[in-house]
Formats: sequence, structure tokens, C-alpha cells
Amino acid sequence: MKRNTFFRFASPSIIIMMLLMVIPLIMAIWLGTNYVTYNNIASPQFVGLRNFIEVLEDPVFWRSFRFTGLYMIVVVPMQIIVGFTVAILLDQVSKFSRGIYLSIFLLPFIIVPIVGTLMFKQLFEPSGLLRWAYQTIFDTKFLYTEITVKALILFHGVWLATPFALVTYFAGIQTLPIEQIEAASIDGASGWQKIRYIVIPHVRSLTIFILLISLMDAYRIFDSIFVLTRMNPIYKADTLMTYTFKTAMTVQRLGKADAMAVLTVVGVMIILIPNLIQTYKEQMRER
Amino acid sequence: MDKIKNPIGRALIHAALVLFSIYSIVPFYWTFLQSFKSFKDANSRTPKFFFTPTWENYQELWLRSVPENGALIAYIILMAVVILICLLLFAKYIPVRDGFIYAFVAVGFVALLWGIPKLVETAKFYDYFINTIIVTVGTVVVSITIGSLAAYGLARYAGLLGVILLVAALGFRALPRLAFILPYFWMGSAINLLDTHLLVILTMVAVNQPFTIWMLRSFFMEIPADLEEAAMIDGASRLTAFRKVIIPIMWPGIISTALFSLLLAYNEFLLVRVLTQTTWTLPVAISRYTGGEDPAHLTIAAAAAVSATIPIILVILFFQKNLVKGLASGAVKG
Repeated sequence: MKRNTFFRFASPSIIIMMLLMVIPLIMAIWLGTNYVTYNNIASPQFVGLRNFIEVLEDPVFWRSFRFTGLYMIVVVPMQIIVGFTVAILLDQVSKFSRGIYLSIFLLPFIIVPIVGTLMFKQLFEPSGLLRWAYQTIFDTKFLYTEITVKALILFHGVWLATPFALVTYFAGIQTLPIEQIEAASIDGASGWQKIRYIVIPHVRSLTIFILLISLMDAYRIFDSIFVLTRMNPIYKADTLMTYTFKTAMTVQRLGKADAMAVLTVVGVMIILIPNLIQTYKEQMRER
Repeated sequence: MDKIKNPIGRALIHAALVLFSIYSIVPFYWTFLQSFKSFKDANSRTPKFFFTPTWENYQELWLRSVPENGALIAYIILMAVVILICLLLFAKYIPVRDGFIYAFVAVGFVALLWGIPKLVETAKFYDYFINTIIVTVGTVVVSITIGSLAAYGLARYAGLLGVILLVAALGFRALPRLAFILPYFWMGSAINLLDTHLLVILTMVAVNQPFTIWMLRSFFMEIPADLEEAAMIDGASRLTAFRKVIIPIMWPGIISTALFSLLLAYNEFLLVRVLTQTTWTLPVAISRYTGGEDPAHLTIAAAAAVSATIPIILVILFFQKNLVKGLASGAVKG
């Protein structure tokens, strides 16, 4: 395809992305260097890098950063381990039961995240099922404290993220080379050995893919924290996103919030570098 | 993989899968129960599994006042929905062109949604539901149309411009939404588009565009270029070849992508929360129910949660194969 034809095909998309992604991004960087609140939204006041310095010196920003990190460290490995294990088990059952299990497993993935969180919260309301279970087992009252709220957020995070890894792995396992498995069986390999030496290497590229997507998703987790903490600062469970949101909407410091958003972008870019290199190689190939 | 034959092992596998099913379904199941409970049952100290179900919560959520012949009206609406869904399911077996049936069903649904407020006094929640449908359908249609053009271009053109577009798209996919949303808010208030469907749709298209392009591109890459080249030798322009040859083959891939777009648009919370004050979609409207400590809201919130989930479950059940295939193919390419 010639360059001109390509341009004609891609232009609507390029225009939209220019208008609504590139320009806003430049604006975000520019707004980050201004003192803006809702009162002077039409006439921002230039303050240079002061917003950025203020963000970097803000202890709450770093606390949010640490909690976002904790969320990623807990949720991403858990979703990969649980997702892989269940995918292996799912591969063992008959086609008919697979369909039923799969429909159920997909539920957390398709339910609106806000609604899913709300449903989770219902379990811990004063009459909720899990609160009752908790109180029966531990014989103490369930209270919303910093620790329980954080644990709840992480628990919900695993619930929310696992189906994606599960289905992806399941699809990957369907493409396993049969001859290899058969050869291994003839050689007397145990199930565990087959998983270790055939399945895991086979799904390696999938693991990288899941890792990439879920790290990005975990990095910008917002909805569930928003609902579970009710934006109440006493739980100290802010993530980068909720803290930025709060700075923009509650404290109404738009400029500072934008500076914060720009700074979080730097973190994302580091995760992406390997993928960018691969894209370059793939797209430049003659076809 | 070869299967475990040992019956005890098989039983254990099923036990583990059932356990995981319970984990996946319990929040939904509990909320579903809560939504049919009366105020007293829902707030009892020990969880109640057996109770007299009531429609009260749904009535309060959807209706401003309960009409006298409510049962009849509800029955008629339900029948209309069932007939339309059946038409959709059995379109293949009806000796009329599929296109006509789909168009008829679409018109039928629009007429139904438009007609319901004329029959009964609906509450705000119904408006939010309509808002959600408008925004979701608008986003899916626009983003798939422009996305498939760009993705086709990317799949057929090897050059630096393509790389730049793809990398930019990936970068934007990774960026936190908030980085864009605050400027959107600023732009929206500057050109007076805040609180309109148009702004929400346009921004959602932009936010979803990177994902749409990447996914569609991976589908287009699988189609050999000889196909449309043959058509072009016969004198068709590239655009005609694209429309007449490529799109029909691509249809399953387009549906998969549209499904993900639909989920993204239907689920979007932050964008709508910032850019609208009254034209909320369901996620924002529902988040309001979680704000207060008022226990009376508990059951209504449950009813709202179930109401927002049922349509999406129906859509997904209908297209589950496409969803799983989409997840798989995106993964294989990644």
C-alpha cells in the first residue's frame, strides 16, 4: 500500500487522536505549569515548575505511589498464578462443563467494575454474607479499618483481574502441540513435569502479554478504590489515580493534579519499552 | 493436554473448579438475593437465604409511581422484549433477508425504549439507562468505523508512519485516563459542550481508539493481501475492495472488537463522572447509591446493580464465543 492511500485510510483516526489525545496531553503538561482552580479556569496563572515540585514533596503522593505499588505486586502475580492453575484444571474437564464454568468465570470480567465493587461491598454491609462469616469465624466485630479496607481492595483486585489471565491462558493451552505431549507421555513424564517443561514454555509469550496489560491496568486502578473507600482519607488507601482525582475534584487544584498525572505517565513508559521495540520490528517488516 | 483418568483426581478437579465458580459468582449471587428482599429482611443480623421475594426495590428504582394495571404493562413489555430477542436468535431460519430482520429488531427496541415512558411514569434511573445506551452505541459505531479503516491501513502499509501511529496508540492506551480527562473538562467548558452526549461519545472514541486499532489490526493481518488485490485488478478501487471483499471476511473479528468497545463504553466511570453533571450513565448513577450510609439505600443499590448487569450478561451470553476468541487472538499476537 502506498503512503498516500494509507494516509487516506488512517486520517479519521489520526484526526481524532490528534484532537483528543495529543493536544490534551500537551495541554496537561501546560496546565501542570499553571496555578488553576475552578475559580480562575479561564485565566490560569503561570507558576513554572512549582506544581511538580509540590507534588514530589507531597507525602500523600508518595504514600499513594507505595499503595499502587503494593496493589501491583499483590494482584498481578496472584492473577497470573490463579488464572494459570484454573486454566490447566479447566482443560481437564469435558467440553460441555467447560462452557458452563467459563460463563461463570467470565462474570467478574463483564460486570461493570463499579457495580462489581458495589456487589463486593454488599457482602460486607452490616447484614452482609461475608461480614457475618467473618464474625462467626473470628468471633470479633468486622470494622472498616485501614487494614481491612486495604485487604478488601486487594481481594477485590484479584477477583476482578483473574478472568482475563484465565481465559487467555485457557486459549493458549488449546494450541499446545499434541505430538510433544504424547512423546512426553511415552517417555513417562509426570503431569507436573509436562506442565513445567512443555506448557509453561509454550505460554511464555502469553505471560508477557498478560503481565503487560495487567500491570498497566493495576497501575491505573481507580473505580474499586473509589467505591470501597468512599474517598475517605482515613483508610490511607489512595492510589495514584484516586489521589489525582481528589486533588482535581475535591481540593480543586487542577494544575497540581495535571502535574501529578504527567508524573505518573513516566512510570507507565518504563513498563512499555520492551513492547515498543517489538512493535517497531514487526511493523517495519515487508509485506 | 492428556486428561487425568483417575476418578478421584477428576472429582478433585471439579471440586476446585466449583470452588472457583463460587468465588466468581458469590458477590453477584448475594446482591441478587438482596435486591429481592424487603428492608427488614435485607438488614437482619444473620444473612437470610429464605424470604418472601418482593419487587419493591425494582419498582422504586425504575418507577416514579406504580400504575394500577402495572402487572399487565410489565407483561406486555416483557413479551415484546422476548419476541424481539427470539427474532434475533432465529433470524437464520426465517425466509427473509437477515438484514431486514436485524433492522426490524433495532427499530423495535428503539420504539420500545421510546414508548415505555409514555405508558408508565419512569424514574430518573430510566433516563440514565437511556443515556448509557445512546453513549455506548454511539461510541461503538464511531470507533469501529474509523478504527477499522485505520487498522486496515496499518495492516497493509509497511513504513515509519505506521510505526509512529501504532506506538502513539500504545502509549495512549497505557496513559492514565486522568491525564486526558482534566484537559477534556477544560476544553468542554471552553466550547460549552460539558454535560452533552456528544462530548462523552467523542472522548470515549478517542480513549478507546488505541485499543480498537491494535485489536482490529491483528485481525486484518491474518487476511492475505491477494484477496483484495484480485478485486482491484478487476477494476475495483481500494475502498470498494475493502468494503466488498475484506469487511465480510472480517465480520467475526469486527464483532469481537465491537464487544470489547461496548464493554469499555458501558463500564466507563471516570470520564462520565468528570464530564457530566446530569446526563449520567449507569456506572456514575450507581456509584451515587454507595455514597450514603443510609441502610434504606442498601436494597435499592442492589436492585440498581442487578439492573445494570442483566443487559450486559445477555449481550455477552449471545456473543460469548466472540469474546473468548477475541481475548485469545489479541493474546496470540501480543
